[in-house]
Amino acid sequence: MSMTEFLGRRLLQLIPTLIFILIVVFVLVRLLPGDPASAVLGDRALDADVERINRELGLDRSLPVQFVVFVKMVFTGNLGNSISMKIPVTQLIADRLPITMLLTAMAAVIAVTFAVPLAFVAALRRDRLADNAIRGVFQVGLSMPVFYVGLILLTVFGAKLRWFPVGGYGDGFLDHVYHLILPAVTLALSLSAILMRNLRSAIIGVVDAEYVTFARAKGLRSGLILFRHILRNALISTLALFGLSIGTLLGGAVITETVFAVPGAGRLMVDSIYGRDYPVVQGLTIALAVLVSLTFLLTDILQAWLDPRVTK
Amino acid sequence: MKRLSLMAATTAFLLGTTGLALAQDRGGVMTYGRYADSLFLDPVLNDANVDIWILSNMYDTLLMPSADGKSVEPGLATEWEVAADAMSVTLKLREGTMFSDGTPITAEDVVWSLKRASTPDNGIWGFLVSSIQDVTATDATTVQITLNRPDPSIIPALSVFNTAIMPKAAFEAMAGATDLEKATAFAANPIGSGPFVLESWDRGSTMKLVRNEHYWADGADGEKLPYLDGITFEVIPDDATRILRVQSGELDGAELIPFARVAELQNDPNVQMELFPSTRVQYITMNVRDEIEGRDNPLSDPKVREAMNYAANKDAIIQVVTFGVGTPMTTFMSSATPMASADGPLYPFDLEKAKQLMAESEYPDGFSTSILALAGNQDELGIATALQQMWAQIGVTLEIKQVDNATRTQEYRDGVFDMRVAAWTNDIADPGQITSYFAYSPTIDALHSGWKSDEADALYEASQSETDMAKRTEQYATIQQIFNETGPIVPLYETPYPVALQSDVKGFVQIPLGNNIFRETYLEK
Repeated sequence: MSMTEFLGRRLLQLIPTLIFILIVVFVLVRLLPGDPASAVLGDRALDADVERINRELGLDRSLPVQFVVFVKMVFTGNLGNSISMKIPVTQLIADRLPITMLLTAMAAVIAVTFAVPLAFVAALRRDRLADNAIRGVFQVGLSMPVFYVGLILLTVFGAKLRWFPVGGYGDGFLDHVYHLILPAVTLALSLSAILMRNLRSAIIGVVDAEYVTFARAKGLRSGLILFRHILRNALISTLALFGLSIGTLLGGAVITETVFAVPGAGRLMVDSIYGRDYPVVQGLTIALAVLVSLTFLLTDILQAWLDPRVTK
Repeated sequence: MKRLSLMAATTAFLLGTTGLALAQDRGGVMTYGRYADSLFLDPVLNDANVDIWILSNMYDTLLMPSADGKSVEPGLATEWEVAADAMSVTLKLREGTMFSDGTPITAEDVVWSLKRASTPDNGIWGFLVSSIQDVTATDATTVQITLNRPDPSIIPALSVFNTAIMPKAAFEAMAGATDLEKATAFAANPIGSGPFVLESWDRGSTMKLVRNEHYWADGADGEKLPYLDGITFEVIPDDATRILRVQSGELDGAELIPFARVAELQNDPNVQMELFPSTRVQYITMNVRDEIEGRDNPLSDPKVREAMNYAANKDAIIQVVTFGVGTPMTTFMSSATPMASADGPLYPFDLEKAKQLMAESEYPDGFSTSILALAGNQDELGIATALQQMWAQIGVTLEIKQVDNATRTQEYRDGVFDMRVAAWTNDIADPGQITSYFAYSPTIDALHSGWKSDEADALYEASQSETDMAKRTEQYATIQQIFNETGPIVPLYETPYPVALQSDVKGFVQIPLGNNIFRETYLEK
């Protein structure tokens, strides 16, 4: 199977996945108790107002009819209007999702920057002081709750030392990046711990492999052995894990976004679920599903490139 | 109602709101941290406090709520007079006022705005002005409101957000076929005549207002208000982060400080910890129907409810949950509500009396019941946990069900809950609104509790068209007495609005109805 064929097959697989997600999100959001009108109007809602608003939103129609309307809209690129904010869902997604993407990307870069070199040091100094120290520190990072780490970073590096702003998102791209450093570090902490541990054991597995011993016997330079033989092979499983983690990061940015007052898609999602803002929940889920699927696809391509057996 | 002269009213207004401050510094942008962002900036079609509480900075009303929230002051109207038969109101418009785009405010704009606000089914606030039959302009600066019944709350209603005056021509020029579509387009760049104008809005993050160069009111220095060049609202949902930003000097103020942090901030020399009087009351609603989903309901027994009220130690809850910030309730409405009774705290803690009442009830051996509390809300969980222990002493086993808001609203509206933690804030300086929801059964079955008093219903209906102040006060006194004695709630406490400000922020007020008023706020240099 060629690379193009492989790609084509993976893209085709996306279609049933997305259709499945359309159905699931449509049904799940309606299974939650309560409806948009009473969620928006709250305790003071009068029956007449709730009925009127649900009628205006088309929620008094049967579920199959609502689903057909929904699917039609999705395929015409119209995700409807937010019930509470009245503006188009596509506009909300375009405003908020890139913020979460930037945050996730920065967290991924930070995680990899720390995890990869330290995994090497830990693996090559197995069970010695450096290994234990690195594993110990990462273990602490992995076990601390995100909101707590976030608050500590904000207090120390924001309020006390004033190296970073205390939350918010700023104006302009560089300012955004500056505002997102602390949240990205917070988000990167557990990811880098997981990556480091996985890569460390992968490297340990590869270091003792026969082909590495053979390469050493051939007298290859250790740098070459490190990158071509050890890293490339050890990375395969870590890369798969990394791809999966990005999906988790995208969905899990909620707490970080709340603590750091970052107006990303995570917070929008949570607010919309609480507000039973069906169109926003549906639209955002679809957008996130596409994004996560594309991340998986990219991971698969990278894996195929690292490990030719994947496309075989 | 008596005729107010422009001069007297303006003098009273200036004395009342500017206080002792002598020199107001001009300029600067105030940054203010909010717990949640606004949703929809239309005075008529909005649904929530996140909009209501800041709308008055952008849109003016004919009358303005006073700082104590109990009366009204001149706004876009300088004089008003209720006819002798109480079937109409005549208002004199302030001359020379303009919208923020520089176009003059005409009587036509006023007529159109009030008609839009009182159109049935246009938004959910129409009931506040349901007495409006028609609005006409008798000349360029006089507007007459004809009523379909005498309405004692029509004057305060003209100071409520939904009667804000909007530019008819600019609104109608918006794209869209329906009022909602036009309002959506209009609210993206609202044009009002409040002290500030919306400059930009990054949803979920930052909303920037700048001063309205066309605002009509004079400041204490003889120049036009507002003193500030602008306000920047920042949305910071996390309480700890919001406080940290005030402490680090990045915010000039922040709303909704958790009670647990109030004392700490009161001792911070760099922060003014304000506790603005509010109309907020916190209580437990009890379902008093004989049966709930086929089950026998002990809460239907008035003796049981009375026993639970006496067994609930409000002072202890005030200490535990509000860290002493709250005060006991004297009636079901806040003490900042006009005509609220104040005959000492309701149901002072008395365990012996509670035990005796339980023994006399149909459930002398106690029973099990449940309470809905908002998941993740520390105040509500604190209240529920405290009550669980207090009621255990009279044989009541309380199961705490943590749910999200929409789930709770659904069970509440369906009338299938046992009890719930609840809070209320008035939108109008009149006892009518809260009474309609709490005690008048046709509105929402008295807080969806199933409680009903024919006498209270009749008194409320009479109060809606009673223009004799003394008689109306009497009616409300009786309604409160009936509800407080037999009603479906456990009144817990009143709390103020906790706002943290930098020490140089002056002249800011959050009025009892919740509105954040920045028109006379300044940053001392």
